[in-house]
Amino acid sequence: MTNKMDNNKTLLRCSGLTKKFGGLTAVDNVSFELKKDEILGLIGPNGSGKTTLVNMISGNIKPTGGDIVFKGRQLRGLKPYRIGRLGIARTYQIVKPFPGMTVLENVAVGAMNGKSEKNRSVKDAFTAAEEIIEFTGLIKYKNYMADSLSIASRKRLEMAKVVAMDPDIIFFDEVMAGLNHNEIDKATEMIQKIREKGISILIIEHVMRAIRLISDRIFVLHHGSKISQGPPDDVLNDKKVISAYLGKRYKQLVK
Amino acid sequence: MRKNIFFITLIIVSIAAPLFISNNFILRFATDILIFAILASAWNIIGGFTGYASFGNVVFFGIGAYSTSVLMSVSGLGFVVSFLLSGILAAFFAFIIGLPVLRLKGHYFAIATLGVAEAVKALVQNLDITEGNSGIYLPPPDLSVDGIYNFFFYISLVVLILLLLTTRLILKKKLGYNMIAIREDEDSANSMGVNTTMIKSISFSLSGFFTGLAGSIYAYQQGFIKPEPVFNVLITIKMIVMAVFGGLGSLFGPLIGSITIEVISELLSSYFLMAHTLFLGIIIVLTILFAPKGLIDVYGNKRSGLSYFLNNIKEHKV
Amino acid sequence: MTLQILINGILKGGLYGLMALGMSLIWGVMNIINIAHGAFIMIGSYVTFFLFNSFGIDPFLSLVFSVPVLFFLGFIVQKHIINMVIRAEIFITLILAFGIEIFINNTALLIFTADVRKVKVAYGASNFSFFGATIPYVRLIAFGFAILITIFLFILMSRTKLGRAIRATSQDLEGARLVGIKVSRIYAITFGIGTALAGAAGTLWAIIFPVTPTMGGGLTLKSFVVTIIGGLGTMLGPVIGGLTLGIIEAFGTNWFGTTFESLISFTILVIILIFMPKGILKSKKE
Repeated sequence: MTNKMDNNKTLLRCSGLTKKFGGLTAVDNVSFELKKDEILGLIGPNGSGKTTLVNMISGNIKPTGGDIVFKGRQLRGLKPYRIGRLGIARTYQIVKPFPGMTVLENVAVGAMNGKSEKNRSVKDAFTAAEEIIEFTGLIKYKNYMADSLSIASRKRLEMAKVVAMDPDIIFFDEVMAGLNHNEIDKATEMIQKIREKGISILIIEHVMRAIRLISDRIFVLHHGSKISQGPPDDVLNDKKVISAYLGKRYKQLVK
Repeated sequence: MRKNIFFITLIIVSIAAPLFISNNFILRFATDILIFAILASAWNIIGGFTGYASFGNVVFFGIGAYSTSVLMSVSGLGFVVSFLLSGILAAFFAFIIGLPVLRLKGHYFAIATLGVAEAVKALVQNLDITEGNSGIYLPPPDLSVDGIYNFFFYISLVVLILLLLTTRLILKKKLGYNMIAIREDEDSANSMGVNTTMIKSISFSLSGFFTGLAGSIYAYQQGFIKPEPVFNVLITIKMIVMAVFGGLGSLFGPLIGSITIEVISELLSSYFLMAHTLFLGIIIVLTILFAPKGLIDVYGNKRSGLSYFLNNIKEHKV
Repeated sequence: MTLQILINGILKGGLYGLMALGMSLIWGVMNIINIAHGAFIMIGSYVTFFLFNSFGIDPFLSLVFSVPVLFFLGFIVQKHIINMVIRAEIFITLILAFGIEIFINNTALLIFTADVRKVKVAYGASNFSFFGATIPYVRLIAFGFAILITIFLFILMSRTKLGRAIRATSQDLEGARLVGIKVSRIYAITFGIGTALAGAAGTLWAIIFPVTPTMGGGLTLKSFVVTIIGGLGTMLGPVIGGLTLGIIEAFGTNWFGTTFESLISFTILVIILIFMPKGILKSKKE
């Protein structure tokens, strides 16, 4: 019973988030909640403000207005590393591994830093990193330099790095872009396994097939505003969503 | 393991060297190499491991030199105290100036550090306590002639060994991994919980500390210093070239680089006295063109001979 | 008195602007900071001094020589040296340019010796009065040339096919390549134009100030300050930056003394870099 209570607990609550660049409003008064153990999908056409929204929450850019509350704590104005240490991890749309480090070292840096209460020693961090590399299926590339990996493995490394941080929340920003069908299936599976570790997930994705499959809920941004929210099937059949964004392309993708 | 052997051999050979070298000229030359090895290895901390190519590291050298001079000749302190204070002052200056300057990247960081060094030089040229452009004298060490040569050799050696040990220790700690993470991708490191501002400042301060110590040794060795030579941008250039030549971001690269470049320059200058600096220009150009990744990379690379050098060029031209 | 200082500052500032124009062009187009810029200015000065001293050629007329000579030199240096490392890490090109500077300066020392040279033209001392301020003709003409050359470059960049190719290359290297622009050639030409501008600045400098083989270092640093004040990517930047530095320097040295000249300019450099790294024209954030 307590388990069910926990499942409805709100981890992250954003209200009225707004970002203006000069005269342009990139994100306009967006509110949403991320609950514990939830996978929340975020979709929207290119330039609809998805990455800007994530950048605000992770502290990479300062919001023009609104609140970001994580476990009852205001995040607005904190630097990215503080937010990372509080337990929010993110990947970047353009993958950012540490190219001159091995796969193991890349993941170990995540394990050394990350959520602050862990505070691992270097040795423990490498042990933890080893486990996570095993978990993400990168073990045979352990001692490869990160820049020698394929795109799919790089995306996977990006996931391993943030999982190593032991966060409460991960934002995945287009971790499936550029992958083939088979690789997308594997990535989908991986994200579900990450959720089973007790990590809540916000996932930005263009691959509708995957996002429909794994998301508990989806919300849609269009021109910086939230236009729809709810269970995947409801949202993806919402006329507003279809006309604003998906159109014919959606029908092709979902069939 | 190989590094340990290298370390121990280095220490033994260096400590024993003066026992066999009775020629003070050679001892003095070895001391010069050691001082440059300190400068290049200290630069390697911020430029090689943390990825912030400082073009103003000579400012810490100058601050070290002037701190020692002022503390000894004006405040009347002994060398050891002045020496340590010089390092601390240089580190403190690096920390303070690093806070705003380390927010800049690439060219802007390079130019800003160069600007800071030039500004401090101009300030020292105008201050009364540093006696402006006329320079400042230091009391000479109370030792025999041979004793003086040995003293400067050993103190430089101790500082270099301490610096290399510190660097090695750091590289095995979280600090080292975080420094390299910043070099490889600062945004990503920041998101992962690395306090990038703090790590960069610590790295810059460490670099400043050891550079300041080298400045202090230099000033005491010279007995008289002026702003132009100790804040000369050429010193920054030399330390970078030595670090690059040996191999950036490797522990012993800068040491190997400084030995090689100093020996080559010395040989050339004994043949072509007039054109000494001219050759430094040529060495820099050739080094950068053919071995931008340093001797360590040449040694460790599968390609050999001419094809290695040509490949470097092919990789970097348009 | 104030007017005199202001005029001195503006006249020198025009020259500073011309110096920085070449540096800013090279920096903006190929992301190289040409540390050797001052050395090229120095060569320009010596071309003028040599032609005046040996053949009695009027220094203003020697622009016709210094500009092509320096263009050729810059073209060669870029094509055969700098181009080899243009895609390496940023500080590598910086160090390389330092090496080139050291080489040029020391070659000049061997050839010209460290003696201070002056171009002493007959009309050097003539001047006129303007509301109580004295204005030497040479300074005014040099200023006029600096402005003219800047306008000429502006036209070259905005109206000609070459200018469009240079701008295209600076904005999108791969795109430029796709439309058939030969990037390596454009880079060499741009570098040549940059050093040709340095040569012109050197000629004008030699008419007003003394010349030595080591004068370049200081002028490179001045060019930085001007480039940083004005910001990259506009033709107006160096002009504004040059005038700003000229005026601040004129008033600053008047108040604090001439020994403070470099302290003032480097303090400005550091402050601008920290607080408005894109220059005063684009200081508003985002």
